[in-house]
Amino acid sequence: MLLAAAVPILAAKCLACHNSESRVAGLDLSTRQSALRVVAPGDPAASKLFQYVSAGKMPPGKPLESADVAEIKSWISAGAPWGSEEKLVSARPRAGLDWWSLQSPVKPPVPAGAEHPVDAFVLARLKEKGLDLSSRADHRTLIRRLHFDLTGLPASPGDLSAAYEETLGRLMRSPHYGERLARYWLDVVRFGESDGGEHNNERMTAWKYRDYVIGAFNSGKPYTDFIREQVAGDLLAPGDPKLTAATGFLVCGPWDSVTKITNRDETFRRMGRQDELDDMVTTTFATFQGLTVNCARCHDHKFDPIPTRDYYQLTAAFHGITFGERDVSTGEQRKERDDLIAPLRKEQDGLKRELGDIEDGKRTALLAARYREIEMPRQAGAKHLQVNPVFNRNRFAPVTASKFRFVVTSNQVNVPPKIDHLELLPSGKSVTDWTGSKAATDDAPQILEIALDAPAMVNEIRWSSDRMRGVKDGAIRVYRFEYFDDSGWKIAGSMLDHEVPAEVALPEVTDAQLEAAIPESSRARRRELTQAIKDLQARIDAVPPLQTVHAAKLEPKMLPAFILDRGSVSQPKDEVRPGALTAIRQLDSKLPAGSDAERRLALADWLTSPKNPLTARVIVNRIWQLHFGAGIVNTPSDFGFNGDRPSHPELLDWLAVSFMENGWDIRWLQRLILSSRVYQQSSLMNAKAHAVDGANRLLWRMPVRRMDAETLRDSILAAAGSLNPEHGGPSFLLQKKEARGSYLYRALDNDGPAVWRRSVYKFAARGGERVFMDGFDCPDPSVATPRRSESNTPVQALTLLNNAFVLRQAGLLAARIEKESAGPARVTRAFQLLFSRDPSANERTQADEFIEQHGFALYCRALLNSNEFVYVP
Amino acid sequence: MYRSRRDWLFHAGGGLAGLALAQLAAGGKTHFPAKAKRLILLFCPGGISQVDTFDHKPELEKHHGKETKGANTITPFFGKRGTVMRSPFSFQRYGKTGQWVSNILPHLSGCVDDLTFIHSMVTRSNTHGPALFQMSTGSIFQGFPSIGSWISYGLGSENSNLPAFVALPDHRGMPPGGVAHWGNGFLPAAHQGVVFGGEKEPIADLRPTGPISGRAQEATFRLLGDMNRAHLEAHANEDALDARIKAYELAARMQLSAPEVTSVAGETDTVREAYGLNDPELRPYAYNCLLTRRLIERGVRCVQLFNGAHFGSPRVNWDAHENLEINHGKLARVLDKPTAALIRDLKQRGLFDDTILLFTTEFGRLPISQGLGEGGRDHNPEGFTAFVCGGGFKRGFAYGSTDELGYKAAENPVTLYDLHATMLHLMGLDHTRLTYYHNGLNRRLTDVHGHLVRELLA
Repeated sequence: MLLAAAVPILAAKCLACHNSESRVAGLDLSTRQSALRVVAPGDPAASKLFQYVSAGKMPPGKPLESADVAEIKSWISAGAPWGSEEKLVSARPRAGLDWWSLQSPVKPPVPAGAEHPVDAFVLARLKEKGLDLSSRADHRTLIRRLHFDLTGLPASPGDLSAAYEETLGRLMRSPHYGERLARYWLDVVRFGESDGGEHNNERMTAWKYRDYVIGAFNSGKPYTDFIREQVAGDLLAPGDPKLTAATGFLVCGPWDSVTKITNRDETFRRMGRQDELDDMVTTTFATFQGLTVNCARCHDHKFDPIPTRDYYQLTAAFHGITFGERDVSTGEQRKERDDLIAPLRKEQDGLKRELGDIEDGKRTALLAARYREIEMPRQAGAKHLQVNPVFNRNRFAPVTASKFRFVVTSNQVNVPPKIDHLELLPSGKSVTDWTGSKAATDDAPQILEIALDAPAMVNEIRWSSDRMRGVKDGAIRVYRFEYFDDSGWKIAGSMLDHEVPAEVALPEVTDAQLEAAIPESSRARRRELTQAIKDLQARIDAVPPLQTVHAAKLEPKMLPAFILDRGSVSQPKDEVRPGALTAIRQLDSKLPAGSDAERRLALADWLTSPKNPLTARVIVNRIWQLHFGAGIVNTPSDFGFNGDRPSHPELLDWLAVSFMENGWDIRWLQRLILSSRVYQQSSLMNAKAHAVDGANRLLWRMPVRRMDAETLRDSILAAAGSLNPEHGGPSFLLQKKEARGSYLYRALDNDGPAVWRRSVYKFAARGGERVFMDGFDCPDPSVATPRRSESNTPVQALTLLNNAFVLRQAGLLAARIEKESAGPARVTRAFQLLFSRDPSANERTQADEFIEQHGFALYCRALLNSNEFVYVP
Repeated sequence: MYRSRRDWLFHAGGGLAGLALAQLAAGGKTHFPAKAKRLILLFCPGGISQVDTFDHKPELEKHHGKETKGANTITPFFGKRGTVMRSPFSFQRYGKTGQWVSNILPHLSGCVDDLTFIHSMVTRSNTHGPALFQMSTGSIFQGFPSIGSWISYGLGSENSNLPAFVALPDHRGMPPGGVAHWGNGFLPAAHQGVVFGGEKEPIADLRPTGPISGRAQEATFRLLGDMNRAHLEAHANEDALDARIKAYELAARMQLSAPEVTSVAGETDTVREAYGLNDPELRPYAYNCLLTRRLIERGVRCVQLFNGAHFGSPRVNWDAHENLEINHGKLARVLDKPTAALIRDLKQRGLFDDTILLFTTEFGRLPISQGLGEGGRDHNPEGFTAFVCGGGFKRGFAYGSTDELGYKAAENPVTLYDLHATMLHLMGLDHTRLTYYHNGLNRRLTDVHGHLVRELLA
């Protein structure tokens, strides 16, 4: 329900003093209850509030407009309804409903003084301070600037002769354009390709989201479509795997599989689910709305008008999805695949049966003989008890009974335990192919019962879960073996007596042994069958697998959402229905409470409505930041009270409205910004302006920017001529997950064209060992990084000087130049490639001296380390 | 244009704010007068059992083999509820202050009169990942700045040739969670912990990998200095360019100074023997302890030292789900002597009084066995033991306690937030004022929690 029109007036005009903390004159207008002191519902004349505002006594010195007074009057007459908000947050020390970013942007008139609207707005602010724009930068600088900004790659010497506008157009059509913008977007959405946390598993198909983002920018997709697809692409076009991949947005953040799944404590598992929802909600609202809704998880937002109820309503919008791998094949593809495989498999099964008739009896006999030979150390208490899928033995004091049972109290998660062979010794009674009904726990053990015809003595069991293949699915971890006597079930043996063979002693039957055991007459047929089965398997394996992608995965069952008191899963309060933010009064915050599809599609509509005051402002500001190093709002994912105030509020609103008018077209926006004098001005220092505005918030010059980590690496590759321009596909690895039960991504010193791709294609592991780019402020994707820091450290210096990657590329750069030119021309060529200019006489002398003593490759390495290479002026 | 310095700090964003705060502190302007200048964080991943090391519980002997009931029913991480399990180790009182230590730590037991034990530690998660991140960063989520990064941000470096924050991972492998333990999170990269990787190759990229002579390296630094200064003339007064020239100068000095720091060749035989450098099993961890002292001596602000690595098989950390006697026995042997030597050495060299050492683990272990009779214990976030010493903490003191079985913190529970707040306090920093703006909040090491535990202060 929308708030009554009068309530926002109170928020904007009265609450600065009459809030729950200041309570000037003892009055608190932030809740209906407390406002009733001065409001008589239905009777304006009897209401002190109306008396004061209509007489112009309040607010002191700034009487309300008559329209506002009329609004208050009709509101009181109507019984003073308050709307869905229980409490209006005050204007200070926190944002109220009147907060600037929550108001609809209105296109302001363009100030006089310049033709280009961007110039006009910026100049207007500069003139207030007696400042002006700097002069236009030289052509070479501008061409370099455009290349770095639009593609993240250096201009080649041949690019310098082209005109500015022509270059701008060409670069926006380059496939490298999408790669550049995507890298920035992936920071904002905390895109990573491993889970993070303790297990930190790889997400081998997460790159499809990255490719979706690159493609979206390259195709010039309207921003509203870009949002809708990331929130609900799977629902918009169910048959299109690319659009399902777009929902990778929701689940590309960190995910703690241990808390959510491995943990046996139900409370912690519920916490895991809640963290999952929190990550989706937080990222969605930080990315598209520039709001920090996560602050309302434990209490009403302390700075912005976001009640805890809103937060839990937002989580309800995502209750239908979870993290994971999603099958994106169509029914047709699945059928096609089944149709290809089924006849092959049928044929193979027939051959297998025939082969089984020849082999199985012999194999079992041989295996049995081998089992008897195995000697195993008793493992009890010695080390981690490992159950072996192929063979286990448990010896205990003899018991005599006619009823036994094998009790599993823990097995690998999520699948029922299984035993394919269990033998009681010395009798030899055996059971085969048992599977429990679900995963075993202490409280719900899975039990295999064995009844004998007559009591027998047992002092040993031997068992396996998958004796042929050794697959560990559902592996049993804890079990006990019990027998029944008059007083009930008693333990005969347990994990304490468990024995496993040393790895070398695993029983197996070799092909030669089997061959020897089979009658001469069957051997030829056996060989034929074996080969035919193998051939069929190769054909089955050659059928392309079903496509999966790491994207929003559907929850089988949607659970109701509750407000959690202080964020605690053990303290659920009211149940809530899905909803968006009540602080956005331009839109109805109610979302349908139906299916996942209804919820997410409605949220996507809400986010992309032209009435939403934040959506356009937030993206316009991000694009601005991409080109000027800082946004108009310098906290690009926080447009709330704790965030920055816009340096040019009118410009921001003018851009936001114009952006919507121009089809939410990002390239239109960039073309506008890049054609301004503001963008094309020089970056040289101006002492006078610096004294007035040291932080350059008013843009009296273009800031000097250090290349970001990816641009630096890509530029080195491009200069050396080794950049592999291949677009898209699985990521290349600079780190590899260490196997053997530890969970770390070790740095690899991989080299060669496969890793000489653009850095946006680097596998983005969370918490991996340091690689070349990390020292240069390339963030770990565990948290969203809407704006990178630009630090300057000796570790960076050591890396850029001594890292094997740089040394090799410096060598390749030198070799490339020496192939093209010789003698002094080499230095000229190096300068052109790296700095887009010719060397001075002085620089030539300096170079000759150095090269003579230390060689050209080391000279190239020095150039790659120079400030002129690393900074974009 | 900004209303207050705080406003300015968070509006400036990026590296500027970090620099500013560090410089303020470097001028001696900490929030309070500092008792300690340096910090050693000794972290033991996996979860050290309190009831088998420092928290002596005779009741375990009495109830051995019995089930826990009622309110004290315990939910273990792996869901296998066992019975009360006595410690396989024997306990004895040590020192003038008579503190209990088990017999697996014979050297540390000689140091108890210098230590403050906190027997009532609690943490937020029973899962390694989140609990480990909380140990190192205060947050249970990955990606927040580590303690050392906050210290570097708040206090800067005391040595212009060495980084302010050094991390020394265990020789048996990286800690679970990897570099997140010394990551800068959203603080500028300058505050990232620099890993010193053991005796053989202490610092990555300290020297070129190829055959480049020292002379060529020097000439490169000279050439770069000349080129960058000429470039700066054309971009006069550009601070970032100037700062980068200085960073290269510091890098050149680091190349010279780092080998001197990392080589222990000059240490006396007595010192080598005391740390356990002559014992091959102890040597790698002993080297890290000795290196810690050498770094601290040279003004490194924070050294983060690990005893215990990832969750490999066989176990190379304290995560004793199976046979605790063997696991803790083996790990304690490596931990004990070098750590005790480090504490004594700090005292001998007059570094003890202005250096804090924190010894902790991400959580403790349960007083019951895991499953039946396997001799292991499961995770316990409800109560465990940490100790601190030096830098303004009491000596020979024990604070807080767990219940009679050593399960839950009973008296004076202390959170990691409290402990972090107290350490910052002694280093002159107010944990509520050491902040950095990130995505909507002025973030703190202690989030919105943390109380100074005055009782721990001398």
